[in-house]
Order: sequence, then C-alpha cells, then structure tokens
Amino acid sequence: MTTMMDRPAATPGHSAPKKALIERLNIFTAFALGIIGAIVFYYVAKAILPANTDGSYIKSNNDQYVIFSMIGWFIGFMTGIGALIGPFRWLLGKDLNHDENMFYAGKDQGVKRYFRYTTDHKVVGIQYLVLTMIIFFVGGVLAMLIRTNLGHAGGGWLQPQTYNAIVGTHGIIMIVGTIIMITGPFGNFIMPIMIGARDMAFPRLNALSLWLIIAAVPCILSSFFLGGISTGWVAYNPLASQAPAGMDGYIMFICIFALSTMVAGANITTTVIKMRAKGMTWNRTPIFIYGVVASVALALPAFPVFFLSQVMSGMDRAAGSTFYNTMGGGSGWLYENLFWIMGHPEVYVILIPGVAALMEMAPVFTRRPLFSFNLAIMGIAGISGLSILVWAHHMYTTGWAPLLNGPFMLTTELISIPTGLLFLVLIGTLWRGRLWMTMPTASIYALLWNFMIGGITGIYLSDVPVDGALHGSMYVTAHFHYTLMGAGLTGALASLVYWFPKMTGRMFDKTLSWIGFWFVQIGFNIAFISMFFVGLAGQPRRVEAYAAMFSRGNMITTGGAYLIMAGMLVLLYGVISSWTGGVKAPMNPWFAKTLEWSVPNPVPLENFDVLPVVTSDAYGYGKAQS
Amino acid sequence: MSDLEAPKRPSVFERKDIKQTVYFWVVFTAIIGYAAAELQARSMGVSASETMSTTIHMMRVFTWVAAPIAGLVAAMAMTTLISKIHFGDTPPEEADHQIRNATKLSATWLIVSSVLCLFAVVWGTVVLQKDNAALLNPQAMNVNVTGQQWAWNFDYIDNGTVRSQDLYLPVNKPVVFHITSKDVIHGFWIVQMGIKVDANPGYTTETSATPNKIGIYDLRCAELCGLYHAFMQTKVHVVSQADYDAWIKSQGGQA
Repeated sequence: MTTMMDRPAATPGHSAPKKALIERLNIFTAFALGIIGAIVFYYVAKAILPANTDGSYIKSNNDQYVIFSMIGWFIGFMTGIGALIGPFRWLLGKDLNHDENMFYAGKDQGVKRYFRYTTDHKVVGIQYLVLTMIIFFVGGVLAMLIRTNLGHAGGGWLQPQTYNAIVGTHGIIMIVGTIIMITGPFGNFIMPIMIGARDMAFPRLNALSLWLIIAAVPCILSSFFLGGISTGWVAYNPLASQAPAGMDGYIMFICIFALSTMVAGANITTTVIKMRAKGMTWNRTPIFIYGVVASVALALPAFPVFFLSQVMSGMDRAAGSTFYNTMGGGSGWLYENLFWIMGHPEVYVILIPGVAALMEMAPVFTRRPLFSFNLAIMGIAGISGLSILVWAHHMYTTGWAPLLNGPFMLTTELISIPTGLLFLVLIGTLWRGRLWMTMPTASIYALLWNFMIGGITGIYLSDVPVDGALHGSMYVTAHFHYTLMGAGLTGALASLVYWFPKMTGRMFDKTLSWIGFWFVQIGFNIAFISMFFVGLAGQPRRVEAYAAMFSRGNMITTGGAYLIMAGMLVLLYGVISSWTGGVKAPMNPWFAKTLEWSVPNPVPLENFDVLPVVTSDAYGYGKAQS
Repeated sequence: MSDLEAPKRPSVFERKDIKQTVYFWVVFTAIIGYAAAELQARSMGVSASETMSTTIHMMRVFTWVAAPIAGLVAAMAMTTLISKIHFGDTPPEEADHQIRNATKLSATWLIVSSVLCLFAVVWGTVVLQKDNAALLNPQAMNVNVTGQQWAWNFDYIDNGTVRSQDLYLPVNKPVVFHITSKDVIHGFWIVQMGIKVDANPGYTTETSATPNKIGIYDLRCAELCGLYHAFMQTKVHVVSQADYDAWIKSQGGQA
C-alpha cells in the first residue's frame, strides 16, 4: 500500500484521488453502498411507478419495488467493491498503470486482499472456496430442516409455506454451490498453475465473476423475509407468478449468478486455449483441465437461457407481460423448456469436473498412467455434446409434445455410452495399480459406487414408460442426489483434501479427512438408498407430509442425513484446524507430476519465475512401457 | 498385449488376479442383480394395470442387464483393493508395468454399451407406441380430470353430468383421461397404475390405462402446486362393471 502512496505522480490532476479510491474500496464499502443503493432505488421506484390498474396482469406493486431495490443493491454493491473502476478508467483513456494493476492483484496486502476486488487467481480461488463452504453451510442447514421435518409422517413442526420455501431455497442454493464447488476454488487457484500460466486470461473478469456471486447471494437469502421461494428450485410458472415477493429474490439471484457464470466461462475457456505452457499440447494437457473447460463451456450456452427465462419471469410478475400466462397467450411449457435447456447441461456442469478431478488423482494414487486418456476426453466431449440435446426428458410427463418423447429418450440413453467410458477410464486406471490409500483414493471408490447407482437409476428414468411411474417421486430426488452429491460432491471433497496443501500451505488432517469421509459416505448411502424405495412405493417429491406407509423409509433417510451432517461438520472442523494449525506441507506432498506441484508454498504472486516448458504428459508413472 | 482383455486365452485366465476378478464378477452380478431387481420391483407394490406391470417388468430387466456391468466394475475395483494397498505419507514403489491403452477392450466396452443402450431405446419405444396407441382406442370410456389447488374433480362425460372427487372406474375397461387445470400445474398420478401426466392450465393433456384389478388405489399430485400440495391426493376405486353402473346411477347419471 505504501508503494501506492510513495509513487511519484506520473499523471497530474485528478488521477491521485482515484488511486486512493481503489485503496478505500472493500467488502464493507460494497455492502454499505449496496444497502444505500437498495434504499434509494426503493424510494425512487415508489415515487415514480404508477399504481396498478385493474386491467393489468400485475397483482401488486410490491414486485416492482422489490426488483428495483435489488437492482439498486446490485449496482451499489458492484460500485462499492470497485468493479467499475477499471472500465471507467479505460473509458476516460486513463487505463490502470502497472502499480495499480499490482495493487489490484493483491501485492503485499496480506489478509486484506481477500476482502477486496483482487484479481490474483489464487486469491479468487480462496475466496471461492470460502464462499462455497458458506453456501454449503446454508444449504446444509436447510437440508437438515427438511429431513427433520420429514422424520415422521403427517407433517412436522414446519408450516407448509415455510417448508416449501425451505425446499426451494435448499434446491437452488445447493445447485449454485455445486456448480461453483470445483471450477470456482480449484478451477481458479489450481488450473492456471496446472497449465503453466501466470494468471487467468482476464484477471479482472475473474474477480468480477466472484463478486457477482457475492452480490447475488443476499438476494436469495432475503427471499426468506419476503415470503420465500415456495416453488421448488425449478420455480415453474404459473406457480411462480402466484408466489410471494421472495420469488423476485430468486429471479435476481439467478440473473446475477448467470452473469457470473458466463463471465467465468469465457475467462476459463480463453485461459486454457491461449495460455497453456510451451509444449503443453492438447495431448499433454491434464484431464482435470478438460473437465473444467467442458464444465464452463457447457455453461456458456446454458446460462444465457436461464438468464432469459428469469428476465421473462420477472417481467410477468412486475411489468405485466404474459410470457408464461395462458390467459394472456403465454405458456407454462415455454418456461419449462427454457428452464431445462439450462437445467440439463447444468447437471453435467456440476458432475464433469468432479469426475475429472478424480481422474486426475487416480494416476497419482495408483502410481500408474491414466488409462486411455483419449477415451476420457471422448467421454467428456460426448457427454457435453449430448447434454444440450436431452433437456425434454425432464418433460416426458408434462404433456408437451408427446411425439418428441421418443427422440428425447434416444438422446438421453445415448449419454450412457460416453458415461460408460468415464467408468472404463477410472476402473482401468485402478486395475492392478498399487493403491496408495488416502481419502482421495477412497473417494474414487466412493464415486464408482455412487455414480454407478446414480447412472443406472438414470437409465430407468430416461425410459418414458418407466418415467410415467417414477417422475415427480422421491426416486428422482434420490437419483439426482446420487449423481450431484454422490459423484460431484465426492469429487469436490477429494479435491479439497488433494489440493489443500497447495492452496493453504498445510496438509489436511489425515484422521479428520477419513472420519469425515466415512460419515458422509455411509450417511449418504443410508439416506438416499432408502429414499429410492419410498419413491418406488409412491411418495411424491416436495411434500411436507406423507402417508404412514412411508414412515420407516423417511426415518432411515433422516438418520442418514444426520450422519452426513456429522461428517460435513468434521470436514469443516478439519478445514479450519488444518488451515490454522496443520502440518506445513512440502512442495509436492503427493509426488505428483502436474505443474501445480512444481511451484513453492505459498505460491508466489505470478506463480512461475520462469514459465515452464512441458515435454510429456503428467501421467508418466511406472517403469516400463508395454 | 494388454492385461485387460476378456479371459479368452488360458494363459490369461490362469492368472490369479483374473481368476479372482471373474469370481467376484459372477458373485457381484448375482448379488447386485437380484437385490436391486427384487427390492425395487417389490417396493413398487401392487400393480393395478398392465402399464404398471410392464413398468415393473422393465425395471427388473433393465436391472439384470445393467448388473453385469456394475458387477464387472465392482469386481475389478475389489480385486485391486484387496491386492496391494499402501498406507503412509509417501507413495508406494511404482509398478513395473504400464497400461496406457487397451484398444480391444475399449472397443468391446464401447460396442457392448452401445448394444445395451440400443436395446433400452428400442424396447422403450415399442412400449411407448403401445401407450400412445391406447389413447386412440374408440372403445375406451372418457373421464375429464380437472386439477385445482388442492383438489381433483372427475367428470364422467360418457355418463351424463356426473362429477366426483374420488375416481371410480370399472375393471377391465380402457379409460382415457383428459386432464386440465384451473390454476397452476398439477401432476395427475395414479400410483398403482403407473400413469402420470401434468394438468396444465389452458391445455388438455391425455393419458390412458386399463385397470385390471378391483381395489382402492392412490391418486397423488406429482407436481409441486403450492401450500397443500402434499394433501392433494384422493382415492381411485376400481369396481366391477355392475357396481360402477350402480354408482353412476346413484350419482344421477345414465349408465
């Protein structure tokens, strides 16, 4: 910071106070300006917007006030964090100079850089990690409320409206948490080092993508005070148009989050294409990179549609349009289509990086090369390509275009082929390897088990006649928890333990990682296997009360959920205790061959003194070629 | 030569780890197939229509078809797990062999998974066609279904102006449901008949079934529809034709 002050003024006049401005902005000014912005926009909206007339489709002015306030919050927050300084300076023809850019990168700022609009990818990675943990904590508390309420038949202690709001918020916040859980922390911190780059292609966009999510989260949390999201995470219309003003929080949350995802997608994709180290051909690029790129590249077509669907939903609520209102010539099926055009690629956005991360770890912990690297890429590419053609399998039973059920069944079941390739790669790598048993190694096993169950139950559901019996039941809930949590989150937790030494400079406590692993995996399987059976027996999703025949299954699920909670708390304690007082990590604790292990701890500001040159892939374990 | 080829040649088959894997494969396939198929099929409960019986049958067959794949993955994982595990803070000595590719195995895997996939698609399509054709059956009776927050109404349009909140159906008679909604999207789901379609405001959707067993069954809403979604359920009474006619008359309709 002193360097900023001592620097001789190169440009006279008003540039000096602007430099000081950069230094003054942080998360606190962001929140302050955000709140001021919300209040100002609220009163402006109240003053200038006309009162409703009976002829319009708008039910009340509340939605307009809430949406305007949140736009005010958003503008205030982004201004307060300093996101606009770069563009403004550029607009004025006074782009940031080198020292200012170094300040932006967090040079010599210690802990303070984590609370600023810092562009260093490692700072952004850590910020994402903490943000993901906060999101999972909130989502986890909501999950425990749901399971506690469902502990016994006939409804629990939550009011139906509260229960529905909790289910909806748990759903969407966990979806967002799982979307960012790998590409956020590890895609930002590890990925650029892994490809031998000094930073991301667009460091300011990187900071932008993070702070957009932080600006979005209060919108979704505020919905609890505005009546809640009582629609499930899908927020189908016309139910969403009936919902209280909490729905506007959902809409703004999604719009801002979609912006963040698009920005991050463009940034990460460009970084990987343009900034790999010399000699790192596509054949030598680690498989984790493929996973991250596939994930964020899929988000590029998916999230603009999500953004659009929510803009239209917000217009229906606040501006009198009728996109989804049958009475005004719209259709709820339009919403369902737009939603799932995002929604199906999105599950692979979550899943692929988790699997790819474990494929990255498999050679390290079996001391063998990755089996059939090309098939792994084909698998990832095949899933990504097909995943944009399968959305309407979520709509088999909606009655929309029954003639299309056959074709969508075909595309959906085709996905089983590239998915099978991922299994082949993992099992081929394990086969006859010398297992170095660590928590990530065990996670490979857990992934094979969970993803097998999630995958095969997906084949049942992809079959139209079977889906007629199972759609909308707890079977579906169990199925996607097996894929997103059983496979995706397992990969993310393994990534946490695996990359923790590089990110924090300390080893993750081994004992705690094992205790957490077993509690989570055992609890998870208890909870969700019994959920399959109540689903088969006919329990619908998203109900706060159920027939007595489902009691036993639900009680077991609730018990399993408490085990998961115990495991996650152990892991949380592990993160905190290892981060603050863990054993100092060596540079390459896993004896791995990817580039991120070739830089010292803590990783220096620009990662490499001399950019590395790559001459082989990172999987050259073992002694002889066969 | 790869270590991963199917055990065709005796030299490969005599290897201990291959033998172990084959043994595990058989055992795991049997356990996984039987447990998954039977537990799932049984928990689907009573079947009150051919659609549901077909669905249960498909679940069973799909499970048995998938079991050898799951069993193989589990067997290979298990063989590795019980042979050479190394605990500690440093890695084990590296293996003295490398497998980077096994072209024949990969090709086999691809072909087998494609064939299984094709099987699932073709069978699914055949059954789907049958379900679609049932909608056009001229012998079928028609029932209009209206969902609203949070109740179902049934209009027996072939029998005059009869309306009920419980669904009554004669046994062994095909029925086509014409479903719509007054407010938001609901899911019309007769659990034991394995049929489901959404009730959309402003549109009419259709599904059909032929109840083949007298009894009382569950009709639940399968699409979150607001405050009392959990309670939006009713009973389906499948009765003999004579009982059905009597019930219709008691409601003021003509049988």
